[in-house]
Amino acid sequence: MKLGGAKLQRKLFIAAFIIPTFLYFCLFTIYPILQALYNSFFDWSGMSQFKDYVGLQNFKDLLQDPIMLNAIGNDYFLVAGKVIGIMLIATFFAIALTRLRIRGAGFFRSIFFIPNVLSVVVVGVLWGFIYNPQIGFLNAFLSLFTKEPVTINWLGFESHSIWMLLPPTIWAGIGFYMILLIAAITNIPESLYEAADIEGAGQWHQFWHISLPLVWEQMKISIINIMMTTLNGSFVIVTIMTAGGPDNSTQVMGSYLYQQAFKQAHFGYGASIGIAILTTSLVTTLLLQWLLRREQVEVS
Amino acid sequence: MVQRTVHPVVKTIFMALLILWGISVIYPLIWTFMDALKDNQQFYFNMPWAFPELPLHWSNFSYVWNNYNFGKYFINSILVTAGGTILGLVLASTTAYTIARYKFMGGKALYLIYISSMMVPFSLALIPLFFLMNDLGLINNPLGLILVYASNTLAFGIFVLIGFFRSLPKEMEEAAAIDGAGYFGTFFRIMLPLSRSGLISVGIINVLDIWNEFIVGTILVNDPTRYTLPIGLAAMQVEMQYKTEWGPLFAGLLFTIVPVLVVYMFAQRHIVSGLVAGAVK
Repeated sequence: MKLGGAKLQRKLFIAAFIIPTFLYFCLFTIYPILQALYNSFFDWSGMSQFKDYVGLQNFKDLLQDPIMLNAIGNDYFLVAGKVIGIMLIATFFAIALTRLRIRGAGFFRSIFFIPNVLSVVVVGVLWGFIYNPQIGFLNAFLSLFTKEPVTINWLGFESHSIWMLLPPTIWAGIGFYMILLIAAITNIPESLYEAADIEGAGQWHQFWHISLPLVWEQMKISIINIMMTTLNGSFVIVTIMTAGGPDNSTQVMGSYLYQQAFKQAHFGYGASIGIAILTTSLVTTLLLQWLLRREQVEVS
Repeated sequence: MVQRTVHPVVKTIFMALLILWGISVIYPLIWTFMDALKDNQQFYFNMPWAFPELPLHWSNFSYVWNNYNFGKYFINSILVTAGGTILGLVLASTTAYTIARYKFMGGKALYLIYISSMMVPFSLALIPLFFLMNDLGLINNPLGLILVYASNTLAFGIFVLIGFFRSLPKEMEEAAAIDGAGYFGTFFRIMLPLSRSGLISVGIINVLDIWNEFIVGTILVNDPTRYTLPIGLAAMQVEMQYKTEWGPLFAGLLFTIVPVLVVYMFAQRHIVSGLVAGAVK
């Protein structure tokens, strides 16, 4: 009887600790996700009486929507640019701050992380000022070298403005990935480097044959993480800096979803863009997992 | 033993690049402060990197605080951040502890559900979330933001806290049981205090995330008196197309930046350890 009571108590305890959180999570996270899948099959302007089932029509329209196709292109452009930019610079700094025994490494590490604690809105406003055609930093700086003052409207080109979103996003992303790589590099046993030193291997050699293979797993995670946060989150920097313009040329999937749903009340179509973000993100994750696969290196 | 070191020239180049990047991070913060003290005149006729002229326009700060409602945004941000962080921690720590310390049916499945939700892009949920909050009457209500923000912190919090609870020695619970502490007593009086550093790490990272959040805020709030700082800042930037007030914009930036910088200065160690724990999957 007493044992049964203890068992019941244990069950009650587990239930009391598990169920409230799970119900809460179901309501505010799982339900919206499932509802989004459902909504994508409807033509829907936000009022329940006008919610028409249209099957896969939204997805067919998406594939023929030039703005959407351009947005997907922009998303992958940002993914590629950020992966290359962030991984190169972050790896460089991580190596410099760990293996090269540079003075003040801790200080640099703390400083470099600062952009990561700033809101993307703050980053967008700061860089918007750098690019400002009349009073911005960039034009003022370039004007030092020219006779006529430079008045380039950096965010006003349909063909190139998406490029201008790379520097702010890379600037804001370095610190976090650098910290992850530093953590991975410091986990490598010092004895491996000492052995390499004795055999006369230089720093470059040590990087290629010790550091890189042993932090590869961390790099893979970082690359996939950059991809996911970009597909999911570049909406903010785009909204703040260009609002998708000029003429939708810098639209990304997230900002296009926002525009379609919340500005033009095409909620069904917007939902189908959300599904597109989910699909591209999952497919790209699998693809990257496969592309970046590498024999696991065991530290013996 | 030959200790091979890097060539001094190479080391100097590395050092120069590190300093250069350091400047690129620090300088925008300095110029934000300087530009917050300028009037429009100086923006149009002086170089962007010029020092502010005397008299310094300290009034920019009171101007955004009152006229642009940054005072209200600030209070809203604090309210929403505190509420979302605390609620998120309570919900995450209880679940994380149970999953980490007890074997029960469905425990693994539950863990997988939370973890895999991190793979789902959040923008997918925006539209249904808007209608859900609309139905609940929580549009333009700080409680609406608190509920959604807390939910968004759960997966990450549970993931990191499970690691912390698992690292605590099993003997602690046994000792507590011998002392006659019940299940709840063991959790609240023993396990929770012991995992304090994990809770602080997760809490501070959540504070930063919620303080800086923009997308959900834009969708669930359209009444300017209910804005949080990032939404207010973005709205102010849009208004700049019609009336240019650069000094006040930078003053508004400072109100948003300074609190996170202060948190970062004091809690850097916790932020870094929490993020590393959360990313090494």
